[in-house]
Amino acid sequence: MFGLFGKKKKQVSIAAPITGKAVALDQVPDAAFSQKIIGDGIAIEPTEGVFVAPFDGTIVHLIDSHHSLVMASDEGVELLVHIGINTVSLQGKPFTPHVKSGDKVKKGDTLIEFDIAQIKEAGLPTITPVIIANGDIVAELKAHEGNVTAASSPVIEITLK
Amino acid sequence: MEKQFTVKNPQGIHARPAGAIMKKASEFAATQISLELNGRKISAKSITGVLTLGMKAGDAVTVSAEGDQAEQAVEAVGAVIESVLD
Repeated sequence: MFGLFGKKKKQVSIAAPITGKAVALDQVPDAAFSQKIIGDGIAIEPTEGVFVAPFDGTIVHLIDSHHSLVMASDEGVELLVHIGINTVSLQGKPFTPHVKSGDKVKKGDTLIEFDIAQIKEAGLPTITPVIIANGDIVAELKAHEGNVTAASSPVIEITLK
Repeated sequence: MEKQFTVKNPQGIHARPAGAIMKKASEFAATQISLELNGRKISAKSITGVLTLGMKAGDAVTVSAEGDQAEQAVEAVGAVIESVLD
């Protein structure tokens, strides 16, 4: 009614980028993630080695060793996904990227395929932190745990400032 | 205030070291801290910014700061850039 209540804050729902089981970030065996130093979000224990775009957006940065990338939504939410822990040491071997920095992608597009067995054989955890990289734009964040399907189940719901 | 620091981590600045740089920079709330490499300049307080610089071992990164404690901020962030976190 004539703006009496001000502008409604924008809500953004982010789908799982990977099929598996979503768990709280404090389950990740790496303090940079579990203590939310890099940012808030959720972690997914993958059951399928396919990382897809959880929303339409742009690949901001694919890390050289192909185990992690940052993508941005059209609203400006930046999402960092890091496949496994200490996986930088695998020098890209279990990871097959299908995108490069700067690419435009649609929700559901395959971004990186990864070999779960190869990561486990190397003795590394496959748990994958999914982090809001620009937490300064977020007023409130809710993470949903449980079994999730890529590009379908919502895992993070945020209210923008 | 600006100074160059050299990346020593053989794996470059991947997610964990980038998080450490951002955390250190964020401790200086009233200071603008930037990192510059190959003509690109980003805020040291943005994890995305720090990652997109793609800093590799041997890269000389310019750290600059404006505001309160600029000199301490440059030295503190520079020390993290030069440290080797696995």
